Amino acid sequence: MLTYTLKRAGLAVIITAISLMLLISMIQLIPGDPAAVLLGPLASPEMREMFRQQMGLDQPAVIQIVRFFGRVLTGDLGTDVLTNRSVLVTVMEQLPFTLALVAASIGWSALLGIPLGCFAAIYRGSLADRIVGILSVSSIALPAFVVAVYGLLLFSVRLGWFPTIGAGDSGAPLDQLHHLVLPSLAVGLGWVGYLARMVRASMLEVLTENHIRMARAFGLPERTITYRYALKIAIIPTVVVLGMGVGNMISSAVFAEIVFARPGVGKLIFDAISTRNYPVVMGAVMITTGFYVLCTLAADLIAAGLDPRVRSTL
Amino acid sequence: MSGLSRRQILAAMAAAGFSPAFYSRAALSADGKTLKVRSYADIQNLDPAFRKGAPEDDIMRNIFVGLADMTPGDVWKWKLDAASRLEQTDPTHIEFTLMDGLVWTDGHGAVTADDVKFSFERMIDPKLDAVYKGDWEALDHVEVKDEKSGTIVLKAPFPPLWNVGLVFGSGRIVSRKAVEAVGGKFDTKPPAQCGRYLLKEWQPKQRVVLARNPDWKGEAPQFDEIHVIPIEDEKTAELALEAGDIDYTWIAPSSIPRFKQTPPKGGKIAVKPSLAYVWLGMNVEAPPFDKLEVRRAVQQAIDVPSVLDAAYFGAAEPATGIIAPGLIGHREKNIYGYNPDAARELLNKAGLASGFECTIDILNKTEQVSAAQAVQANLSEVGITATIQQHDSGTFWSLGDQKSGDAWKKIQIIINRFSMQPDPSFATDWFTPEQIGVWNWERWNSPEFGELNKQAKVEQDEKKRNDMYVRMQDLMEEGGAYVFLTHGVTGIGYSDTITPALLPHGGPIFHAFKSA
Repeated sequence: MLTYTLKRAGLAVIITAISLMLLISMIQLIPGDPAAVLLGPLASPEMREMFRQQMGLDQPAVIQIVRFFGRVLTGDLGTDVLTNRSVLVTVMEQLPFTLALVAASIGWSALLGIPLGCFAAIYRGSLADRIVGILSVSSIALPAFVVAVYGLLLFSVRLGWFPTIGAGDSGAPLDQLHHLVLPSLAVGLGWVGYLARMVRASMLEVLTENHIRMARAFGLPERTITYRYALKIAIIPTVVVLGMGVGNMISSAVFAEIVFARPGVGKLIFDAISTRNYPVVMGAVMITTGFYVLCTLAADLIAAGLDPRVRSTL
Repeated sequence: MSGLSRRQILAAMAAAGFSPAFYSRAALSADGKTLKVRSYADIQNLDPAFRKGAPEDDIMRNIFVGLADMTPGDVWKWKLDAASRLEQTDPTHIEFTLMDGLVWTDGHGAVTADDVKFSFERMIDPKLDAVYKGDWEALDHVEVKDEKSGTIVLKAPFPPLWNVGLVFGSGRIVSRKAVEAVGGKFDTKPPAQCGRYLLKEWQPKQRVVLARNPDWKGEAPQFDEIHVIPIEDEKTAELALEAGDIDYTWIAPSSIPRFKQTPPKGGKIAVKPSLAYVWLGMNVEAPPFDKLEVRRAVQQAIDVPSVLDAAYFGAAEPATGIIAPGLIGHREKNIYGYNPDAARELLNKAGLASGFECTIDILNKTEQVSAAQAVQANLSEVGITATIQQHDSGTFWSLGDQKSGDAWKKIQIIINRFSMQPDPSFATDWFTPEQIGVWNWERWNSPEFGELNKQAKVEQDEKKRNDMYVRMQDLMEEGGAYVFLTHGVTGIGYSDTITPALLPHGGPIFHAFKSA
């Protein structure tokens, strides 16, 4: 297990580095002069030139990449060129909001999707299974932004149950939870169906295996067979997908952060790209990429823990 | 009785969490203490010399005083702010006296005439290289007479000072002692404040909290706190207004007809003429637009009202130039109107009777996309096949900049929008020969225009100044490079629990907002 962990961690570092190099290369290809965009029409040519120097844009791409990695190693992600604040501070201010949204979305979708998948597998072919199937596919097919907008119109504007904007008052956890309901509904709904379908398929496969038949032959209760023996194995691919799902949800969070005017790292990156605020783009992507890689690493390690056969696959 | 089961507790918690009564859903203005307003972007810099735009201006107006400020209402006029006296004694001298009782926060003492001197002179200090130095380009120096009074000395007469420099962000007064102590400039943390409100807290991307200044000696503002919430998306802001989460927001032009017909519950709508200007430009160096006949054909091929119907749903009026109604230099009518037959004839004369293909570059904003599609349809009627090229803001705003690459060479038709201050010079400055390759993306070169622009800035006689600006817009139209589309409109939605204080173009003066 230790060897597997070390190999997997090494791979994670390489993936992070490659992602960032791709990002920096893309930045070089994007049209638009950051100095013109950020400083506006009234800036003097001298001011623009000084600005380019501050951002390091007067240097070749290779130098920019080396400098960035050099700074990252010392824990310095650079300075936000708009506000002159530390990029690390700026990103860390926004990250908790995105993590809360991702955790809430993935949490409720897993809590609902996994039992639904088990239920559908146990009652395979029944009316209930078909209903779960239809609802699952519908929730996958429903675009998240449609859920967001109609959720706002119904639950906020019409019924007045939930707030339309913001993340709630700091230091008021109930208020923050209240602000999380609609965004997490929008981000997580598709995952309920996806997880339900996935768990159902895995469970159906596992439920036909010999050790399950053996358990039934021994007269173990169906509940014990399902949740203790079958689900433990069937959940492995789901755990891996959930790890990747975290990264997917960080991307999905962008639209939720815009529609619900929530703070968050997705919106931070979106705004920074629009304004060509490259230090913030690079710093924020560095942190989210690192986080995503950590999540997939954790998912792989959990899967390896649950099923020793996985350890030999790297 | 074994007490509550886990299931009962969970059900009760869920019921409590979902209960509308558990959380107050009305914007806090309902209690008369807090005003919640929307800003279209978060703040980036609160130093008057380096502010980025309206979001900062709107906040600076509350936390820094100026000698004068614009008056809410339908007509552009100024009033005294921190000055008890402000008088132009001759074309180049403006005397001022500060009112009593103005005090800086953080122990920086009283607001003095020396602070005024520092605040205005730093705008033209080449070492500071202030972004807004143009607002004070005619300033020579400020003479301090005593602690409270002094004289602003100009190098030449400069009428724009009264419409822009003194009354907007560039006219805000900062503390010499406090600003010098932090190195001569600041970002989002003002080292000292003096206004009707104070910046209490900035939560990036969440809100700016302004709290009433306990040391303010003038008329107290109505609300204890103002929460300025950045909401980029207009539709989200409209929903927030409808849900009662905010008290004030700008609304999208496309939403104005809907809200006029069915105002949001507990809300009201106001529509103000915008000062901004939207135009279609043609690059006079890019074939075939290097021929005047072709440019004139385009001018006459475009049915501006139909373009505005598509883009603004009938809420905006056609423009007659780049200077909005109500300002010096506003032009009453255009020279060339919609005449597709004349356009076809001109194309024939230019040897392009069978038409040609061209591009329209636009910013990827809803109004501009709709306008471009309508223009595209108009052009197709005279045989011109236009392809629309949408750009994100980062790309679009450097298209015509010669120093940003070669994109400027490829511009043929462009639809653009510039914001504006209530002085005509703010509109015309960008179309001079010196601005070719900077902001004059049409590369239209009129030395007469450039000369008039310089003269109009120092002209004291309003009638003469007006005529100069009218002539300049005539030159623009005669040159064929421009089709003036609209100034747009500013739609404002607000809670019926408040009475907003709005400038003629809809800009808010938050400290003057009242409970209804």
